[in-house]
Amino acid sequence: MSNTRKLLISAVAVGLVILLWFVTGHYQLMSRLLLPPLGEIAATAEELWTDGYVHVPLWQHIAMSLGRALAAFAAAIVSGVPIGLLMGMFPGVNAALDPFVQFLRPLPKLALIPLIIVWFGIGELSKFLLIYLATVLTIIVAAAAAVMNVKQGRIRAAEALGVSKYQLFRYVIFPSALPELFIGVRMAIGIGWTTLIAAEMIASSSGLGWMVINASSYLRTDVVMIGILLLGLTGYALDLALVAVQRVAVPWMGKD
Amino acid sequence: MKRFEARDRVAAIFAAAILFAAGSIAWAENPPEVVRVSWFGAAGPWILGKAQGTLEQRLGTKVRWDQISSGGAVLTALAANEVDISLLGSPPTTAGIARGLPIEVISFEGVIASSERLIARPEIKSMKDLEGKRIAYPPGSSSHYGLNAALKSYNVDASKVKLLGLAPADMVAAWKRGDIDAGFVWSPFTYQMETDKGHELLTMKDLQPYGYFVWNNYVVRKEFADKYPTTVVAFLKAYQDMVKAYRADPPGVSRIIATYLNQDLKAVQDTLAGRDYYTLQEQLTPDWMGSPETKANAKMAKGFADTAEFLSTNGDVKRADIPKSFATVINPTFAMRAVQ
Repeated sequence: MSNTRKLLISAVAVGLVILLWFVTGHYQLMSRLLLPPLGEIAATAEELWTDGYVHVPLWQHIAMSLGRALAAFAAAIVSGVPIGLLMGMFPGVNAALDPFVQFLRPLPKLALIPLIIVWFGIGELSKFLLIYLATVLTIIVAAAAAVMNVKQGRIRAAEALGVSKYQLFRYVIFPSALPELFIGVRMAIGIGWTTLIAAEMIASSSGLGWMVINASSYLRTDVVMIGILLLGLTGYALDLALVAVQRVAVPWMGKD
Repeated sequence: MKRFEARDRVAAIFAAAILFAAGSIAWAENPPEVVRVSWFGAAGPWILGKAQGTLEQRLGTKVRWDQISSGGAVLTALAANEVDISLLGSPPTTAGIARGLPIEVISFEGVIASSERLIARPEIKSMKDLEGKRIAYPPGSSSHYGLNAALKSYNVDASKVKLLGLAPADMVAAWKRGDIDAGFVWSPFTYQMETDKGHELLTMKDLQPYGYFVWNNYVVRKEFADKYPTTVVAFLKAYQDMVKAYRADPPGVSRIIATYLNQDLKAVQDTLAGRDYYTLQEQLTPDWMGSPETKANAKMAKGFADTAEFLSTNGDVKRADIPKSFATVINPTFAMRAVQ
């Protein structure tokens, strides 16, 4: 299927949903309390753009959320990738760390909030830790799996050529694992981004997640929906950025 | 002929009596299977009805009490049709009305004087000392409103203050850990902070001279009120009697409620005394809620308008959402029937 055709189908699908929303609002099929009409959303969006939310400009809220998330992502990549690679290379390391990783990963991070607050308080550290935890565990698992999935044939071929352990890693294992690793990092960042709202529930005073929570306590469903839309768009933008990096760093992806 | 007429008259009176009784019974609809009431875990004269189970008796049906953390969350519960009757502060009530929440305000519960307060650490001696400090508030609540009003009235630079949204229980935990320097909330949380090196900096009453009038009222989902008006009237009658019981014996009622809620007796006494209560009869005057004829210019409608105005300066309520008159959502008819 050609790219233009796929784009067209996507556009029509989104257009239909928008039309449905417009019709619902125009003929008042749903209470505006539950689903604000498109016109109201547009008006609120404009207000938020010019006046900000609670006197803080919108870009500041976005920047605050992005800042929190990016700091946690950076830490997760820097710590998670090496740990995961080590786990993939050395079965002993894997046996030692895997029980913890596999236990913590499916745990809803929301459930950890009370514990994190008791140990680390309600400041930025707790928010950072929550997003970090959500991201790093997926990265570790992805890195370990990426290493373990490197084709045995390649390794044997390299070993037949007489490489050192370091050379094996640097020229065979690492490049072979990179595509799967990147996919894992993309997924992990997606998961970490969704934890942002949970993190900003911990006594925030700014950020997109905080905006959604504060607006909901005043029944401002219009602001809530715009906040959710912005969160989704920013997460999408983050993913696009990662794909761009991947194209440059791993040009051999999908060309096995 | 005369005997026939006499029997006729008796029969006519008898028939009229039966019709009247039937009419009255038809007027009193069946109560709902359960009445869902929301409260905040705080003491109030109406908690007597919970403590002694008398509310269920008076309503003639089961009552399900839902404890909700603060006003903002109550709004969501009302919107989702999770509760029927709620105790709610005037600021969240205003916010809900502005968004078109299908509720009616049926009476005051009490005007908030000292039952909501700003508690601060010992080194914070005045409102100005709050600059550079971390202050907590429950989002969307009357205390949130009080805090904003206090900062404005006392000319505290809001940009120099770190405001943190925390549910009351989380606020106390944060206080104990030293994560916050002050908190504006209600009892029993205020007392939990006070006993842990906190002191009172301000009460809601201190804001009245600056023109901020904050109260608790009872709201009912319109759907529920239309379907079960007799239940709503019975609720108000019960509330009225509990206020009377409290006024007749404040120490005794405080003791009952303190024991039931497992809260400190002095704290409960002060909380109960921290609101000003008015009888339904008083509330029907324009000085308070007013009657259907006078409600548009009564204190409650004006209070909602002022509250909406202040909430919109902060951006919490959209100016375009503020109705021309709040009188349409104020329904004094239930109170009127309750005092008959």
